[in-house]
Amino acid sequence: MKYELQSGSRSILIAGLLLFIIAVFIIRLFWLQVVQHDYYVGVASREQVRRLVVPADRGEIYSLDMGVPNKLVLNQTVYTVFADPQTVSQPDEIVKSLDEVAGGNTRDKLKDLLTAKNSRYQILATGLTDTQAEMLKDKGYAGIGFQKENQRVYPEGSLAAQTLGFVDGEGEGKYGIEGGMNSQLAGKDGLLQSVVDVSEVPLSIGGKNIKQPAEDGKDVVLTIDRNIQHEAEKALKKGMKKVGADEGSVVIMDPNSGQIMSMANYPTFNPSKYFKVKDAAAFNNPVISDPYEPGSDIKTLTMATGIDTGVASAKSTYVNTDHITVADRTISNASKGETGRITFQHALNWSLNTGFVTVLERMGGIEGKTGHATINQQAREVLYKYFHDKLRLGQLTGLPLAGESAGIMIGPNNHAYGSLPVRYSNVAFGQGMDITMVQVAAAFGAIINGGDYYTPSVVAGTIDNDTQAFNQKTVEPTEKKVIKKQSSRDVTKMIHEARQAFYASHDKKGYYVGGKTGTSQTLENGKYVDNQTIATYLGYGGSDLKNLNYVIMVRLSGKGKNLEGGKHAMPVFTDISNWMLDYLKLAPGDKNA
Amino acid sequence: MRSRGTTNSLGKPRKDTFAGVPAGVRRHKPDFMIVVYMGILMLIGLIVMYAIGPSRANVLNQAYGTDFYTGTYFFVKQSASLAIAVVAFILMAKIPYSLFFKHAGKILMVGFIACFLLLVFGNLFHVEAIAQCSLGACRWFSLGPFGSLQPAELLKFGMLLFLAGFLGLRYRQGLINDINKTLVPVGALMGAIMLFVIIFEKDMGTGIVMSLMVLAMLVATGMKWKIIASVVGVVVLLGVLMIVTSPHRMERITTFFKGDSTAVQINDENYHIKHAKIAIGTGGIMGVGIGNSVEATGYLPEAINDSIFAIMGETFGFVGLVAILLLFTALLMRILKVSDHMLDPSLRLLVVGIFTWLGAHVIINVAAMTGVFPLTGITLPLLSFGGSSMLFMAAALGLAFQLSRYSVHGSKLKEISYEDSSSGRGIGRSRDTRRRSSQRAA
Repeated sequence: MKYELQSGSRSILIAGLLLFIIAVFIIRLFWLQVVQHDYYVGVASREQVRRLVVPADRGEIYSLDMGVPNKLVLNQTVYTVFADPQTVSQPDEIVKSLDEVAGGNTRDKLKDLLTAKNSRYQILATGLTDTQAEMLKDKGYAGIGFQKENQRVYPEGSLAAQTLGFVDGEGEGKYGIEGGMNSQLAGKDGLLQSVVDVSEVPLSIGGKNIKQPAEDGKDVVLTIDRNIQHEAEKALKKGMKKVGADEGSVVIMDPNSGQIMSMANYPTFNPSKYFKVKDAAAFNNPVISDPYEPGSDIKTLTMATGIDTGVASAKSTYVNTDHITVADRTISNASKGETGRITFQHALNWSLNTGFVTVLERMGGIEGKTGHATINQQAREVLYKYFHDKLRLGQLTGLPLAGESAGIMIGPNNHAYGSLPVRYSNVAFGQGMDITMVQVAAAFGAIINGGDYYTPSVVAGTIDNDTQAFNQKTVEPTEKKVIKKQSSRDVTKMIHEARQAFYASHDKKGYYVGGKTGTSQTLENGKYVDNQTIATYLGYGGSDLKNLNYVIMVRLSGKGKNLEGGKHAMPVFTDISNWMLDYLKLAPGDKNA
Repeated sequence: MRSRGTTNSLGKPRKDTFAGVPAGVRRHKPDFMIVVYMGILMLIGLIVMYAIGPSRANVLNQAYGTDFYTGTYFFVKQSASLAIAVVAFILMAKIPYSLFFKHAGKILMVGFIACFLLLVFGNLFHVEAIAQCSLGACRWFSLGPFGSLQPAELLKFGMLLFLAGFLGLRYRQGLINDINKTLVPVGALMGAIMLFVIIFEKDMGTGIVMSLMVLAMLVATGMKWKIIASVVGVVVLLGVLMIVTSPHRMERITTFFKGDSTAVQINDENYHIKHAKIAIGTGGIMGVGIGNSVEATGYLPEAINDSIFAIMGETFGFVGLVAILLLFTALLMRILKVSDHMLDPSLRLLVVGIFTWLGAHVIINVAAMTGVFPLTGITLPLLSFGGSSMLFMAAALGLAFQLSRYSVHGSKLKEISYEDSSSGRGIGRSRDTRRRSSQRAA
């Protein structure tokens, strides 16, 4: 058609209007598609791209019962039921079914939640089992969804609660092994990023899709023996009840590997109901997190040091006057009357402070005057070397448990905290330093096992995710011969004698059991208080002198209670020790070994 | 069939005038570019339907819980619609237009009756097997497996034919600016039409398109600007009244003015506009490519119907949309030229009406999709999925195509228009002769 529009006709006007509008559209399109392209790509991303996290299975936790791994903490798949009130059409039927199928798990006022039309997400019930969820799914209600979650299950209830810790609502491990090994247990969540259609079905469109599989967490085998743990908790509870203690802890360790067989604490909690605990202090594991002045138990370590440095032995003697002055302080014995020239065995049996201040004094190369001790730099350095460097008191053990505390051991030349001779004379009988039970138990293990220090451990190995095989960690001493083998045998014998002197009848016949009481003063706001003492008992047991199978340390305390090691903590040790001899199926050993 | 010439410019008829050929006009080759542009647009629509049909089917299957919709369902249906549309186009291009003018009144009446029946079956008796309704608006007759038919389209077509004839007559009589003889009857007819379309069928989009068609025809008659301005004023006033009295329309307007500010709570309206803009915006310069539209997977409502322009924007990008707009512009310009070169004022008005029909649909639809005009819910001609609108649009274009055979050279037109403005008798006579000759032929 070759004709042009009629000039001057109204067609020109209409054509002009059309072209003008089309030009406006093109400008508008340029604005939307070219200038604002990135903005709209961003908006589209938010609307169309879903990042689906593929949760990694959290590693399960095993106990090691007589060398056999058994599940202590398991995972269970549970379902959260939620509703989109805008698409719910049968609220009454849904409420009825939920009550029938999952009565205990539902939220309050279900009907209100289901009819909250301005909301698109309401949680109706949590913690449903597979079966319950299937029953509800079968009903096929519109607007009801299910969200799968993994939940921790504790078949043993509160057993070893502080060692285990718990997993919080966000899936984060807190306290204990759950907190300490969270990253290994948690594994690594996978990521599925995908463009989805309006009903959230992933599409294979575009370059924004990511597929990254989840790496499941490691299954961890603890060194904790479920049966020993159970017994320890039972004995501790019984002992505490008997003496009216508020707080109590037990640690049981294999002296030949440093593996912790049990850590028991009261008060305790149920990890599956961690949110009901009012005082978060209950989550702590005092065995590793609560440094204190352990008291006379430490005399065993002082004695071991004295023997190893050759300044004291069971039969060597000193003159006891029940008091000994160090610098301007006078240190007295708790048990008085064992005066005169006595052996160090005698001093250990009666837990005489003067004896161990004397041992310390002699480490400095001084044969002091009766009733007076000079604690020189050399003595302090020797004690520090043994206690801190070799036996690792006041040092973190590095247990993979959350909340471990190192404690404090003041250095031999650190003058910042007052008189060092006074402090070190106190250290010799277990005061003047803050250390944890696990440190003491490990040090004690080293002096009775022949002299090798094993760092305490709580993880025995892992279970292979694919083969389910138990990969056991090999245990090597951290430092061999921290004291000489003979020194170890000598001090072990002395500890045996110390127990025999008073409690021989408590132990099963034919076994080799030794122990030392401790009654330590409590510091409150930097001052010792009179009306409250902590009772401790530290001991070992086994077939014979050379084959000792366990170290048990007991600690009890009560508000305003003067608890004594021998009277109050010792019976707990005895209960557990006798049970252990049976449980470990130990044969009575060679008496002459 | 070869044209053999007809009358001289003053309309003296020759006895052998072929039925349907306007007096004083030589029948010649039609403007085949109309067919070319139409064909390209329809083909693009079909390609997009092929690409997004599966995801649309998926969305519907999920929504209704069936597997009724197959991946090719929409492609096949659109192909069928196109086939029917092509048949309609050919028929309209072949059947002498005089026949339509002759029966314009009847066609208009059938349109009214159809709308009335829809009202009776839909709004009064709620016979769902016959009338398709949503939200109290009944717009379609259900034809079972053959889909649905929108009687408003028939009414639109009838109105176009009738007013072209009527206004052409008034033009020849020189009574265009006579309010009582021209504007009042037109106003009465439009009132009746709008009663059905806007009040009963609640179809603001179609109402606007029809109003614009009439407006464009009035402009083309050469009506005084003053009168046109008052007509526009009254129509706009009525339109505002329509909007204010309908909460649904009011919401669309407020939504439109609030834009996509984040303070606005998401409702159906701004959700639709927002996703139309997302689809267009993400297309960028070159588009995401055929079959890669994400918005078509259920985000953008009416993805294959009213929102097809946005999906095309996502698929073909800025370049593609500009090309589509230019294709429409070229097609519209062709039609406008046909109208401009019509000797007979009725024919000219008829083609102007067809031009506005197509143009208003394109402009209103694109304006809504790009967020410069509120949503009215009308299709993008030739591209959107849907039989009714496709059928009637193709029919109208077929008519324009037929009339492109009878365009005359501009020099001749000037002569006539001079003649015309002085007396109005010249063309009037030619119309009479045409009527006579067609009667003779029948």
